[in-house]
Amino acid sequence: MSAVTSPARPASSGASARTINRIVIYGLLALFAIFYLMPLFVMLVTSFKTMDEIQNGNMLALPQSPTIEPWFKAWGQTCVGLTCAGIKGYFWNSIKMVVPAVLISTLLGALNGYVLTKWRFRGHTLVFAMMLFACFIPFQSVLLPMATILGSIGRFGVTLQNATGFNFGLGNSTVNLVFVHVVYGLGFTTLFFRNYYEAFPTELIKAAQVDGASFFQIFRRIMLPNSMPIFVVTVIYQFTNIWNDFLFASAYAGTGDVMPMTVALNNVVNTSTGVVEYNVNMAAAMIAALPTLIVYVVAGRYFVRGLMAGAVKG
Amino acid sequence: MAFLEIDGLKKRFGNVEILKGINVELEKGGFLVLVGPSGCGKSTLLNTIAGLENITEGEIRVEGRAINDLHPSKRDIAMVFQSYALYPNMTVAGNIAFGMEMRGVPAAERQAAIDKVAKILQIGHLLQRKPSQLSGGQRQRVAMGRALVRDPKLFLFDEPLSNLDAKLRVDMRIEIKRLHATTGTTIVYVTHDQIEAMTLATKIAVMRDGEVQQFGTPAEIYNNPTNIFVADFMGSPAMNLIPAKIDGNGNGVSVVLDRESRQPIVLPMPGAPAGLSAFKDKQVIFGVRPEALTDPEGAERNGSNIATADCHIEVVEPAGSDTFAVTNLGGKGVVARLRADARIQPGTSTPLAFNLSKAVFFDPATEKRIL
Repeated sequence: MSAVTSPARPASSGASARTINRIVIYGLLALFAIFYLMPLFVMLVTSFKTMDEIQNGNMLALPQSPTIEPWFKAWGQTCVGLTCAGIKGYFWNSIKMVVPAVLISTLLGALNGYVLTKWRFRGHTLVFAMMLFACFIPFQSVLLPMATILGSIGRFGVTLQNATGFNFGLGNSTVNLVFVHVVYGLGFTTLFFRNYYEAFPTELIKAAQVDGASFFQIFRRIMLPNSMPIFVVTVIYQFTNIWNDFLFASAYAGTGDVMPMTVALNNVVNTSTGVVEYNVNMAAAMIAALPTLIVYVVAGRYFVRGLMAGAVKG
Repeated sequence: MAFLEIDGLKKRFGNVEILKGINVELEKGGFLVLVGPSGCGKSTLLNTIAGLENITEGEIRVEGRAINDLHPSKRDIAMVFQSYALYPNMTVAGNIAFGMEMRGVPAAERQAAIDKVAKILQIGHLLQRKPSQLSGGQRQRVAMGRALVRDPKLFLFDEPLSNLDAKLRVDMRIEIKRLHATTGTTIVYVTHDQIEAMTLATKIAVMRDGEVQQFGTPAEIYNNPTNIFVADFMGSPAMNLIPAKIDGNGNGVSVVLDRESRQPIVLPMPGAPAGLSAFKDKQVIFGVRPEALTDPEGAERNGSNIATADCHIEVVEPAGSDTFAVTNLGGKGVVARLRADARIQPGTSTPLAFNLSKAVFFDPATEKRIL
């Protein structure tokens, strides 16, 4: 960069300085990358080792006789607390929580962004500022109030159960977690979509109005199909956050077979009976980390720019 | 009763009055151009006709029926936007048919309408493309197709040509004019380009600061501007507006134009028009268009009142079709429009013919027309 901005420098010293710069930069980057990837490497190799090898060998060494037995054991047999049926049930708990929570919070964020930019009302900046506040609330501070609210919702569910024979999911731990994550995700998803739609050409909405499209038709036919980049960003962000959440999960679904993956993983590692099976623990941790990785790999492909090209003047 | 009537229309944002009582009307099949500098309220006026902005006071009527409280889609209008506003996720055909789709027109009927419009605009080969795969001119056509396909009572154009390059703009201007002539639709068109206004309109409303300065046919606006603003805004090169003095001698009056270090030019106004006589010995603004200030051979032969005076030429601009000469009168640069082959040198004096029957006079205090 410096060589580009100051071309008057003598060529030879400029070239050598640039080489040194490159070496330093790439050296540092490589160092950081190794530092960052080391734990992942250890986890990965450990999960393919037998217990003998772990107890006698080097932590960084590659597995001598690779085995995928720990992965099967983590998935189907390992003990979480007192039940020994593997982590698969908890994995599905997390999926059942994260998919609706991500979709609902993303769609609501898109709707909020749409209203806050294209259907402005008196005081829209104040509403947006207050929604932004949700991004700065420390989650610890809402644990108790939210527990009270969830308790009330649960009691209402029981009332409904008695009256109608069906509780509409109220009081269910997974539903509770979805609710909590939607509420606390809204600040971020609204922020993302609001900023994206701020630059969205308003003439498109006017044209659609003249064409006779309603509020929701414009949202569904014009806004959403042109929101792919921010949609993907929001989904990745929300998925990672909600999947990795431990605080809410342990507070509102911390026991029994309703635990999400993160809490279950913690309990696997904390199980204090017999030998600590590092290989199984590592395999379980890898399984817990896989979905976020997959979301990055799959969704990242759709994270393309330039989808708006051609909407307005070229 | 006119086809489109805008009656005492006012628009306020908070305390700011954007439109201050607009009265305009347009006959069926007419082409109304709203022209003015940026911020004059012309786009806002168009948006209120479209229903995209509410109005504070007044009424908008189409065929005698008030439409100002109707939703945009119920007004039977179509609009072409400055940025074209094509839906990027839909094909050209999808864009054109979106309005019909929203109104629940059956697919077969939609297809027939798309084909008909594609034929008129020659965009048949583009129907399956996305807007991002089109050139600027093609997008412009698709945007017009989307408006045409609805066969509305009223077309609204919001600066539709301002994103095109100069040559394409002229082509599309002719295209729009041809479209208007063949389909006989009623059009309201917003532009800041006075040439577009002059060439396209059957009626022009010149706007400034939320008020209509003058409303009339292009010829009226061009030849009989009601005030200095309209005179200055319409026409290219702009009208020469020269500070002058009215001199009275006996029963006649003449216009005196000061010059630097020379005798002033005195142009006699025969018949002493009443309006001018009232300004005897006072300052006025003398307005003469470049084409009314020319070389004596090129002057209109049957002009009733032509006066010739020697002028010192400062700059000569040969433009190919004409030659423009700049002289200094009343302390201002004044442009004269000469024949292309006029033999004229900068720094010399040459006789110029003032066509006084085409000249106009303004009161410098009120900026209003005197004569």
